Amino acid sequence: MTTGFAAGVRASQVAPGTVVTVVVAGRSLCVGQTLDGRWGAIEDVCTHDGGDLGDGELDGDAVECPRHGGRFDLFTGRVLALPPVVPVKAYPVHLDGDEIVVDLS
Amino acid sequence: MALPNPAAAKVPTGYKYGWHDPEMKSLHVMKKGLSREVVEEISRIKGEPQWMTDLRLKAYRHFEARPMPTWGGDMSQIDFQDIFYYVTATDKAVSSWDDVPDYIRRTYDRLGIPEAEKKYLAGVGGQYDSEVVYHNIRADLEKLGVIFLGTDEGLAKYPEIFKEYFGTVIPANDNKLAALNTAVWSGGSFIYVPKGVHVELPLQAYFRINTENMGQFERTLIIADEGSSVHYVEGCTAPAYTTASLHSAVVEIIVKKGARVRYTTIQNWSHNVYNLVTKRAVAYEDAVMEWVDGNLGSRLTMKYPSIYLLGERAHGEVLSIAFAGSDQHQDAGGKVIHAAPNTTSLITSKSISQGTGRTSYRGLIKVYPGCHGSKSTVRCDALILSDEARSDTYPYMEIDEDDVTIGHEATVSKVGSEQLFYLMSRGMNEAEASAMIVNGFIEPIVKELPMEYAVEMNRLIQLQMEGAVG
Amino acid sequence: MPVQAAAALDAATLDHVSRGEPAWLVALRADWWRRVEANPWPTPAQEEWKRTSLDDLPRDGGLLLDPPMATYDLDPALAARGVIFSDLATAVREHGELVRAHLGRNDTIAAQMPFWGRSLAGWTGGSFLYVPAGVAVDGPLVARTSLPAGAYTYLPHSLVVLEQDASATLLEEISSPDGHAVWFGGTADVQVGYGARLRYANLQRLGDGVWRIGAQRVEVGQDANVTTLNAEIGSGISKVGMDLRMTGKGGTSRLLGLLAAGNAQRIDFNSCQDLLGSHTTSDLLYLSALYDASHASFYGVTRVRPEAKQTSSYQECRNLLLSPKAGAEPIPVLEIETNDILRCGHGATAGHIDPIQRFYAQSRGLSAEAAERMIVRGFFERVVAQIDSEPIKARILDALAPRIGQTDEMAA
Repeated sequence: MTTGFAAGVRASQVAPGTVVTVVVAGRSLCVGQTLDGRWGAIEDVCTHDGGDLGDGELDGDAVECPRHGGRFDLFTGRVLALPPVVPVKAYPVHLDGDEIVVDLS
Repeated sequence: MALPNPAAAKVPTGYKYGWHDPEMKSLHVMKKGLSREVVEEISRIKGEPQWMTDLRLKAYRHFEARPMPTWGGDMSQIDFQDIFYYVTATDKAVSSWDDVPDYIRRTYDRLGIPEAEKKYLAGVGGQYDSEVVYHNIRADLEKLGVIFLGTDEGLAKYPEIFKEYFGTVIPANDNKLAALNTAVWSGGSFIYVPKGVHVELPLQAYFRINTENMGQFERTLIIADEGSSVHYVEGCTAPAYTTASLHSAVVEIIVKKGARVRYTTIQNWSHNVYNLVTKRAVAYEDAVMEWVDGNLGSRLTMKYPSIYLLGERAHGEVLSIAFAGSDQHQDAGGKVIHAAPNTTSLITSKSISQGTGRTSYRGLIKVYPGCHGSKSTVRCDALILSDEARSDTYPYMEIDEDDVTIGHEATVSKVGSEQLFYLMSRGMNEAEASAMIVNGFIEPIVKELPMEYAVEMNRLIQLQMEGAVG
Repeated sequence: MPVQAAAALDAATLDHVSRGEPAWLVALRADWWRRVEANPWPTPAQEEWKRTSLDDLPRDGGLLLDPPMATYDLDPALAARGVIFSDLATAVREHGELVRAHLGRNDTIAAQMPFWGRSLAGWTGGSFLYVPAGVAVDGPLVARTSLPAGAYTYLPHSLVVLEQDASATLLEEISSPDGHAVWFGGTADVQVGYGARLRYANLQRLGDGVWRIGAQRVEVGQDANVTTLNAEIGSGISKVGMDLRMTGKGGTSRLLGLLAAGNAQRIDFNSCQDLLGSHTTSDLLYLSALYDASHASFYGVTRVRPEAKQTSSYQECRNLLLSPKAGAEPIPVLEIETNDILRCGHGATAGHIDPIQRFYAQSRGLSAEAAERMIVRGFFERVVAQIDSEPIKARILDALAPRIGQTDEMAA
């Protein structure tokens, strides 16, 4: 698939239950895997204050913004807790060996 | 040995409700101070599910990591380690007045609860030292499926609802005080109103702080399902103490499509209490949310009831009264976030400062792009009654959509000498005349209060004016 | 090619600028430079700097050493009576003692100090207006400067001093071509004495690559009457701080603003109206018309001190949003420390053109664009009507014409 872009980080470098910030094709994304091994990616911006999400925590399926606790679903980008109100874009992710591939289409 | 607290000298001796019950016993009194162990113990005593314990501990981590806010009032005298975080007077909630232990009943007798119980109340969750000890749901409400419990009991009986909504409006890391509350919360009200049900009579709760250095951390969660309506009223008094008390509550309200919620608070804490509260509601399509907020007591109140308008045609209102006498600072206001088209909001704030008191209005109107057709009006009026008093207004606006109408107006004034002269020439003394003018000033908000609160409010203003004049 | 120093502002540049200047001025510049170095750069922690980031401020452009001089036309009769109207460098040479008595003597609010100080240390242009006691200057004095193309730093300082019962009207106009990254840090120090009357207008038509970081300090003496007007039409980023002090009893001030922004312009004003004297009046009215993806923020503080009795103040900021991507953040703040006030309030609005107004205009046969221009012109009328000087009014309306059309369009 030509729409899939490799993230700069290897899958083995991302512990289960965590997210990291990666830049893929010029876009800043928040990528991670849940404790049960599902991978997801969303835009790395909290729509509440414009800062990064990548240094936040992953709680189940929810990415929690480190600054005010807002939460976004790692798979749909939907807002799960205020104060953000605008959802973020979500992108499908699959693994190709130890490589994380994000579909940006 | 605690250092003498300067607040001690300033607690007014004429304080009408200034007494505490010498026979009162506090059971389960834990040692002062906050730590991971205290948070775990609170959760263990309550027998909570693991996910709540985990949430409390995570919140405690956030509380430790966050700095105190650098704006607002002076919080430098709060010592978080000098507070008891959990005290309970009885072990379980009871459902009839006669079952309430004697010394607690005496406390509530003095506050006038039996009278209130007679006619207007649908049910009362009375809070005493963090635990819900008295609670009575009337049969007809039960039949309608309305749930009105203490928050602890609500969590135990309806964990699924809690898991779905708790912390979604005010997450643990929203601000330092919300993190503290999420870690050590105890008591508060849990209300669920099913679809289409209209609760005609206001649901009420009273609570008070009654232990030396007691912090109050009640957590309230109200969910009004589609098309329903409910009015919740809280009014509280606290006895005067000689060391600082901290009240840091969190109120989360979800108003679903077409539903309507009004939350009324009259706060009259004694003048050594820090009242730092986070209150926030979300309103969906065609929903209406109203905060009626009266701040009369406390040494410092920082409270900005907020409404997130998330669905089209949602409407939010904040009606706020603040009264600051000498050595008091009321830093209050309201926030409305317009996040859907055709949403409307109204904030009306009336503040009065007297003696060396200070009132500050702090508010925010934010309109996200795409929220066309939105309208908002903010009206702040301040009355400064004495030369040494102070009033501030800090209205923020972030407007990122052009098809809107947003306006804010504020005035600051004093009692007109002509007005005073006229009333005094009708035979009133200066205190009576001033009280009348002040009552007229706040009338647009007072008329929205349940009657017994309106009466109490007017009486309290009278008391304040007598203290101020002559 | 403009003559520039190697750097924007540093010890070496200052040395270069001070060459040939009288000792007192060299010392004054050095003193302000010391203060600049001791003062931290603004941070978003300061309320006034929350809405504008200085990260991309072009700081590499060398200091403009030979700025173009405006023409300072002055009736010889007035010059004979002691009125001085010239560029600041010339005034230093020809009226050194007078300039020395007034230049660089005042601090301003903390948020503006980094830029105030830099301008007082490194100014290479700017105007000097001095009106002696009792002299009335009829007709506006105009200082118009067209800056050259190029990437540079320019920090002019204008000094305006009106003695007791003097009166004058001054227009300073600045323009520059589009497409060049310039740091324009113009400042103005205005001192209006007892019973004096000043009308001071600033018309800014800078190019789209310009960062305008300005500071204006105005001191209004007893029973003085001052009106300032800032017309902001150009620049890419405009950040202006206004520090107005009513120090004497009974003074009156009006702060007027007309902002017409488009493209991706960002305009950010902060003002402080500090009422220290009793029976003073200070009103502020700032009107913005925002097109395209422009954005205007306004953080204004009205402070009434405990000793200032019977004051009257009103702060108003109104924003007309003319396209979906335009945005506004008006934040009028009041800090009132006495209750003995005559009148005090503020108002702020942001929103679109009333659809009924628009419908009415179009039903009279105007095109949508013409209707909008006419309505914006009407919106600005509350400030335009307060411009006493006809020539200045005409000049301002002319500058606004690309946005609001020519006045003769309305006559049709």
